[in-house]
Amino acid sequence: MSTTSQRRSRRTRRLLALGAATLLAAGLAACSSGKSVDLGDAGDSGDTSQGITVAIAGEPDQLDPHKTTSYFSFEVLENVYDTLVEPDENLQMQPSLAESWDVSKDQLTWTFHLRQGVMFQDGTPMTAKDVVYSFDRIIDDKLATAYRFSAVKDIKALDDDTVEIDVTAPSPNLLSSIGGFKGVAIVEKKNVTSGDITTHPVGTGPYELTDFTSGDHIDLEANPDYWGGAPSIPSIRYRFISEGSTAVAALKAGEIQWTDSIPPQQVKALQGDDSVDIDVVPSNDYWYLALNEKRKPFDDVRVRQAIAYAIDRDAIAQVTSYGTAKVNELAIPEESAWYTAYDTYSKDDDKAEQLLDEAGVKNLTMELMVSSDYPETVKAAQVIADELADVGITLKIRSLDFGTWLDEQNKGNFDMLYMGWLGNIDPDDYYYSQHHTGGSSNAQGYSNAEVDTLLDEGRTTTDETERKEIYAKAATQIADDASYIYLYNPSVIQAYSPDLSGYTVRSDRAIRWVDASMG
Amino acid sequence: MTDAIETRQDPADDVVPVAERGPGTLRLLLRNPVSLVGSVVLLVVVLAALVGPWIAPYGVNDTDVSRALQGPSGAHWFGTDDLGRDVFSRVLVASRVSVEVALVSVGIALVVGVGVGLVSGYLGGITDGVLMRVVDVVFAFPVLLLALAIVAVLGPGLTSAMIAIGVVYTPIFARVARASTLSVRSEPYVQASRTMGTGNTYVVWHHVLPNISGPVIVQTSLSLAFAILSEAALSFLGLGVQPPRPSWGRMLFDAQDFVGVAWWLSVFPGAAILLTTLAFNLVGDGLGQVLDPKRRTQLAAQAGGR
Repeated sequence: MSTTSQRRSRRTRRLLALGAATLLAAGLAACSSGKSVDLGDAGDSGDTSQGITVAIAGEPDQLDPHKTTSYFSFEVLENVYDTLVEPDENLQMQPSLAESWDVSKDQLTWTFHLRQGVMFQDGTPMTAKDVVYSFDRIIDDKLATAYRFSAVKDIKALDDDTVEIDVTAPSPNLLSSIGGFKGVAIVEKKNVTSGDITTHPVGTGPYELTDFTSGDHIDLEANPDYWGGAPSIPSIRYRFISEGSTAVAALKAGEIQWTDSIPPQQVKALQGDDSVDIDVVPSNDYWYLALNEKRKPFDDVRVRQAIAYAIDRDAIAQVTSYGTAKVNELAIPEESAWYTAYDTYSKDDDKAEQLLDEAGVKNLTMELMVSSDYPETVKAAQVIADELADVGITLKIRSLDFGTWLDEQNKGNFDMLYMGWLGNIDPDDYYYSQHHTGGSSNAQGYSNAEVDTLLDEGRTTTDETERKEIYAKAATQIADDASYIYLYNPSVIQAYSPDLSGYTVRSDRAIRWVDASMG
Repeated sequence: MTDAIETRQDPADDVVPVAERGPGTLRLLLRNPVSLVGSVVLLVVVLAALVGPWIAPYGVNDTDVSRALQGPSGAHWFGTDDLGRDVFSRVLVASRVSVEVALVSVGIALVVGVGVGLVSGYLGGITDGVLMRVVDVVFAFPVLLLALAIVAVLGPGLTSAMIAIGVVYTPIFARVARASTLSVRSEPYVQASRTMGTGNTYVVWHHVLPNISGPVIVQTSLSLAFAILSEAALSFLGLGVQPPRPSWGRMLFDAQDFVGVAWWLSVFPGAAILLTTLAFNLVGDGLGQVLDPKRRTQLAAQAGGR
């Protein structure tokens, strides 16, 4: 549920990467000109006191946090805006604009106490009214993140520093819904009504946006009055370099100090390079195969399990991510507090054949739907086809552009599909809409009464330990039934200058400069 | 229309009895070293297309990630790709796709184009005007752009690629056939046949068609080269042959990410495209000389008074 928008943003990024691939030869020529040899230490020639330049892989479509779905925008906005609460590195929700909060006994009323003296970057004080305005804007205008407020009945300002949110049912995931990322940021009404927000957003965050020159750069300057204390790096210039090889060459040459525009096949080489620090952090994204249970013979759980046994997850992860991804047979990565260990399936052709025999399936010919906008899915599909051939299944590959792909998925016109979900935090994001009977993303038509009960329970159970148990049970059942055949969690890959300190590569891909410094 | 009349040659040169052309043409062609090389390469490509799947050392779709991206070696002559597949086997087997697409699409262009050209040139008048203006419209589009548009409508795939390439090369055949037909139509033997009351179909089939075959054959050979290039271009753009089926164009596309890492991924399929199209062009040029009555007489004279 969290992710049509996220997917779209990912798609934009991918498309750019694809277009850039054709320029690869030119990019390589540029870096073989010998630049990186002698300019390696030119970077610390005095830049350090003047801030840093970073390269992101594409230009933001707009800077209105409530409207954009592009990850490029959030790479910038992360530093301009604040949310009521925000996830820490372990994705636990922590106070931000709200210093503390209370929940009523019946779990239906949440009261947030705002931090006092917070100012927008133009000097206007931020009050409870701005919070109410921001959330109402998202809900009333049905903006990109409106689905996150589906349980919210009413939002009101009790006084200047107190906001009350009424929900229709106990919602243990309310905090991640209203603070999970900057798409639910607190905006300034004046900035919205004037229309400036799309190019010159004004927030309460540690950096103020001073210049957005389309096609070239975005400049941020430190906000000296930031409630958390002024950041150490005085200014940040974002450049847009979609061609990974070019970005890496610029980083090595000291022209930029940070980038996430990195071709995965270069990661190994960069890890051995002293002039660059590179971090590969497992993300909350996951990739999966799903079989259409409305079609025969995929309604038979044994056929689905046979396919889960026939594929080699390590090989798939290798060809798509060059060893930067982590194989996982469930959705939630090991680093998350919600992780459940599960390793039922492994490459086992005998077992797969036996299951197919039991199901009475012979000479199965089926189609795998992948998207040419995600070239790695086309690659992986060829590996999967080869592996399924070993157990007597003929797999045809159907490669579509992503728009058509989504269409076909929603119409149920597929045997098997291969895709990923991004940007999940709460376990409810991972499982509910994908596996609940009739769930909005349950395109595969999975239905299991027991799982439904568990997922419903998980939504309203407030005890953490109990909730974790519920989701562990649900997830295990989902994987046992092979509703999704989970494959792997990809990584967040970022490279930066060794002079940059205090910066953390986060699993939710949030780029935060507030604690970073140079030198 | 006038241009066609201008190209009309002296009847004495033009009337080469069809029966006598057969045995000498091939020998004359092969006597030219350049054409000989082209023919040999073509023969190899066609052989590869016919028996490739049986002589390939590895299965074209056998992936093995543990042997990915290995350079050329005794075990893998052309190295392996990022999925661990044998590049030599894939280049070999991909020749079938190229030849298949080239033959079918040029077949379409040949049949439709020559048909239109014959009718247009032989009947003349309004029919000629209408048909040739339609051909002009199709001809006005850049070749690849039109092919892209057609594939976009039909959906990506081998069949769409064949149809698209066939359609875009049709106008060339129509023009070549029409121009030759115009000149042959006014030849005395055609006129004589018509005076005797022979039907149009018979005249076209027995008198016109055999005598315009020279230029058409040359055009066919050249078009085969362009068709292979177009297929590679469409597959490169993801609109032609769909993976995992190997195709030279698609292999080049996949090789982009590895230009600096694994040169063998792009060099071998690229060389295959180059050699094949070059061979078709060389043979086309050779045929052009041999089938042109004037040049043929010269060649025959040089070859020892034949």
